[in-house]
Amino acid sequence: MAISSMTSTVYVSVIEDVINKVRDEFVNNGGPGESVLSELQGIWEMKMVQAGVVTGPIERSTAPKQTSGAPAPTPPVHDLNVPYEGTEEYETPTAEILFPPTPLQTPIQTPLPGMGDNSMYNIPTGPTEYPAAQDGGGATDMKSGRPPSYMPPPSPWMQQRPPLSVDVNVAYVEGRDEGDRGNSQQPLTQDFFMMSSGKRKREDFPSQYHTSGYIPQQDGAGDPAPEVFEVEVSQGSNSIKGHDILTKANREIFPQVAGSYVRIPQLDGPIPDPYEDVLSTPNIYNYQGVVNEDYNIVNTPAPNDIQAGTPAVGIQNDVGDDDDDEPPLNENDDDDLDDVEQGEELNTQHLVLAQFDKVTRTKSKWKCTLKDGIMHINNKDILFNKANGEFDF
Amino acid sequence: MATFELYRRSTIGMCLTETLDEMVQNGTLSPELAIQVLVQFDKSMTEALESQVKSKVTIKGHLHTYRFCDNVWTFILQDALFKNEESQENVGRVKIVACDSKLLTQ
Repeated sequence: MAISSMTSTVYVSVIEDVINKVRDEFVNNGGPGESVLSELQGIWEMKMVQAGVVTGPIERSTAPKQTSGAPAPTPPVHDLNVPYEGTEEYETPTAEILFPPTPLQTPIQTPLPGMGDNSMYNIPTGPTEYPAAQDGGGATDMKSGRPPSYMPPPSPWMQQRPPLSVDVNVAYVEGRDEGDRGNSQQPLTQDFFMMSSGKRKREDFPSQYHTSGYIPQQDGAGDPAPEVFEVEVSQGSNSIKGHDILTKANREIFPQVAGSYVRIPQLDGPIPDPYEDVLSTPNIYNYQGVVNEDYNIVNTPAPNDIQAGTPAVGIQNDVGDDDDDEPPLNENDDDDLDDVEQGEELNTQHLVLAQFDKVTRTKSKWKCTLKDGIMHINNKDILFNKANGEFDF
Repeated sequence: MATFELYRRSTIGMCLTETLDEMVQNGTLSPELAIQVLVQFDKSMTEALESQVKSKVTIKGHLHTYRFCDNVWTFILQDALFKNEESQENVGRVKIVACDSKLLTQ
C-alpha cells in the first residue's frame, strides 16, 4: 500500500500532539505515569505501522525520557520494528472458550439386565447431560435418548418391565411437567403406546404402575411398526419419525454403548460450525438426508469428526434443491440485496469522514462541499482540506 | 467544548481505540482516562486536518443512498471517482459520513 508521506506525517504529528496534551493527566493528579503514556504511544504507533498508514520507523521529535521532575524511572523505548507480541489475554477465543466442552463424558450404563435384544428403545439412563437438548421443546425429539441429569440410576422395577425403555417416550410428554420424568416413568411409557392407539388413558395407568410394578404393554408387540405411529400427530411428525429413527439408531448404537457417549440423531439440520455463520433456521430440506445418513450426530458443536456427513449434505442441498420451489434459505440470500444494511457494515471498506459546509440538490443532482476529511479508499488513507462532490441520484 | 467523534472511525482513530481498549482491559489505564485521551484525539485530529492538510479533492459518482439525521449526512456512492492533485481513485462503493461544520464553531 502506497503511503502518502504527507498523510504519514500528519498522523505522526497527531499522535504526538495527543500524547503531549494528555501527558498532564497521566503524570499529575495520580495518573498512571509516564511509562503508561509511553506504552500507549508505542502501541498506538505500532498498530498504525501495522495498518500501513504510517511509514515506520517513527522518529520521535520528543524523547520519551522527559519526565519533568516525576520520580518515575526512565521508561523503556519501544522498538517499533519488532512485531507486536500480544499477551495471552488478547488471543482470539478458541473453540474451547466459545463453546465449553459439553460434559458428555459420563459413562454410559450398560443395558439393563433382562432386557434382551428386543429392547430397541433401551437407551441407558444415567447422569448424562445434553445442554443443547435441554431447552424445553427443543428442536430434536431425541431427548428421549437423553435422560435427565437428575434421574436416579435404574431402579429394580425397571428390570421387570417389558422391553421398552421409558426414556424413549419422554419425548411424547414434552408438554407435561418435566418433573415427571424422574418419578413416574411408567405412565410416560404408557402414554406413548396409548397415543399410538389413538386414545389417551393416562389416568388408567398410574394405578397399574403402583400395583404391579411394571406396566404391561397393551397394544401389541414392542416392534414399532411405522404405520402405528403415523396415526398420532399430537406431538408432531418429528417425534414419530424420530422415534422410528431412534429405533434403528438404538440397534446400531447398542453395541457401542460401552465407553462412548450416546449419539442422538439430529433432525433439525446440520450442525453449525462454531466459526461459521450459525444456521439460524433449521434446514428442513436436509431432513431426509440427515435422517438417513447421520444417525450418530449429537446436537452439540464439540466433536468435529461426526460432522463429516453433514456438510456434504448441506452443500448438495444448497446447490440444486429440486424438492421445493426455492432453495433452502441460507446466509447467501441477502448478498448485495440489502444495500442499506450492508452499508452499515462497510466500515472497513471505502469510507470518507468529513465535515460538510453545504449540501444542495437540484432535481436529481446533488452537490456538496466538504472539508477536513479523512478518506480510506482502495486501502489508502488520503486527507483533504476541501472537497467538492457532485452526485446524481 | 463538544468534539466530533467522527474521526475515531478512521484508521488512526481505530488504532487508538483498540490500544486504549487493551490497556483498560489490562487494568493499566482507567476508563475515564481513556475517554479523556479520545476526546483529546478528537480535538487534535480536527485541528491537524484544518491546519496541516492543504489538499483539495473532487468527488463524482452515482448517489445510491442519502440520509440526513441528527445533523449528519450519510451518502453511499457507487462507481465514484476521487480526484486530487496527484492522482485519482476509482471506487465501486463508498460511504461518506459528514458532520455539520457549523456545530464546531458554535
